[in-house]
Amino acid sequence: MRTDRSLITGFLLALAFGLGIALTQQQEVDPFKEAQRQRELFRQTAGILPGELYAAQGEELFAQKRGPRNASLEACDFGLGPGKLEGAHAQLPRYFADTRRVEDLETRIASCMVRLQGFKLAEIKREDIKALSAFVASKSSEMPLRVVPRTSQEIAMYNLGRELWFHRAGNRDMNCSICHDAYAGSRVRLSPVRSPRQGLSNEWPAYRFEADKLYTLQDRIAFCYVSIGIAAPEFYSEPYIALSVYMLAEATRGRNSLTEMPGFTR
Amino acid sequence: MKKRYFGWLLAVLLAGLTLSQQGPFQQRVNQAIQSGGSRFAEAMKQDPDQALCSIHRDRLPPELAGAFLERQRALIKYPANGKLMGDWKQGEALFTDPRKGNCYACHTGDPKEAGAGLLGPGLVGYGQRGISEPVVKYTYDKIYNAWATMPCSLMYRAGVHGILTPEESAHVTAFLLEPASPVNARR
Ligand code: HEC
Ligand code: HEC
Repeated sequence: MRTDRSLITGFLLALAFGLGIALTQQQEVDPFKEAQRQRELFRQTAGILPGELYAAQGEELFAQKRGPRNASLEACDFGLGPGKLEGAHAQLPRYFADTRRVEDLETRIASCMVRLQGFKLAEIKREDIKALSAFVASKSSEMPLRVVPRTSQEIAMYNLGRELWFHRAGNRDMNCSICHDAYAGSRVRLSPVRSPRQGLSNEWPAYRFEADKLYTLQDRIAFCYVSIGIAAPEFYSEPYIALSVYMLAEATRGRNSLTEMPGFTR
Repeated sequence: MKKRYFGWLLAVLLAGLTLSQQGPFQQRVNQAIQSGGSRFAEAMKQDPDQALCSIHRDRLPPELAGAFLERQRALIKYPANGKLMGDWKQGEALFTDPRKGNCYACHTGDPKEAGAGLLGPGLVGYGQRGISEPVVKYTYDKIYNAWATMPCSLMYRAGVHGILTPEESAHVTAFLLEPASPVNARR
């Protein structure tokens, strides 16, 4: 499965790059149109999108009996009841009584692997979390976002996230707001930036064709931190969850929906 | 639907109000930052004025501006030879290099450079304002410490953080002001 995917994507990428270079030499490309074009290219040549391959891999992992307890993840409750995946991603992050934490998609998968399958957090493979995220998310494709902080824990997380959003630090004196609020709709180099109200963070997990990798929302946030000279937080830690609650609650208030899941982007 | 949003918005606002007085909330924020690991926590450490900008969401109240600007002005260092205009060619490389000035991320400069960012005002033809001493000093100061003229500016303090030395800041100043620089090329 894994080798298949990298073979196909490797081949397609070589193809796509050839075209991409020819195009950029002519003029600046509209990044959204470019993503559409790359997506079509995958559809036509491979008949399947890389994100769908990840999701298929995740589906297998989800049903397999694994870990010290030899259990599947089918009893994992993402907030709508054990094993109920339809629309689950659209209402995450949320508070879970069983772990007494607010968890996002990735953290929830990890905590289910710990509680149901008996894995230790440190031994869980990042690749497995990514594939499983792609699978669970695929059951919420294009659904309206429903992240509305209600419990005191969720509201506290929202407030934390907002604080981190405005936290200026590092030798570039940056915070998230500078790029994503003050100049939403504008560009950093060639990249157009969105604000949370405009739906920022509604396309993850997504296959990024420029990186030829699946990125979860935590990966994407980490990428922005690193790009402003701040070492990324450790995966599954609170900064990710807090920022996700903040961004997705704002995106919900802006009446945004998830994109196609997994997303396909640059 | 509406009602529910309003409800949590109110809760959030109230929480924000009571918590913005430092104390337990700030402790909670620090705890969350620590949970991200030591490298992240180290990188998220703030100097007092970064913290002030964060608290005020980058819009400093006017009554705090005077002292803020004074503190920031005190951080500016000048080249040993006293010349605030250096070599524009070296300035061009520094302006462009993503690991040095990275100025194209937010500004246009040489009009031939494609894909410049638009967060900052365009700098094409910046040299039209001449090279009088106040203009040169204003430009140098802006590049070395953007916060010394604009509290909490989106533009980072390249000199203060050692990304540009005083000499390098002078080179970039020249790149913007020299009539021979492509920034000021006649079109
Ligand atoms: C220097 C400017 C800058 C800063 C600061 C910044 N970002 Fe970004 N961010 C970008 C750019 C550019 C993109 C890519 C947009 C694209 O290519 O679609 C992006 C993309 C993203 C995306 C995915 C895009 C989407 O539409 O879903 C998320 C989520 C995100 N940023 C969150 C953050 C968070 C959280 C922070 C603060 C830790 C942050 N960003 C700080 C510039 C920035
Ligand atoms: C994150 C975006 C950003 C980056 C990077 C940036 N600037 Fe700025 N710059 C701004 C903004 C916003 C302003 C307007 C507010 C202010 O004056 O601080 C500005 C203002 C200026 C001004 C004053 C313009 C005028 O008309 O008075 C100059 C000169 C300038 N920048 C030069 C530079 C140089 C040189 C660099 C690279 C070392 C740079 N900037 C990097 C955002 C940026």
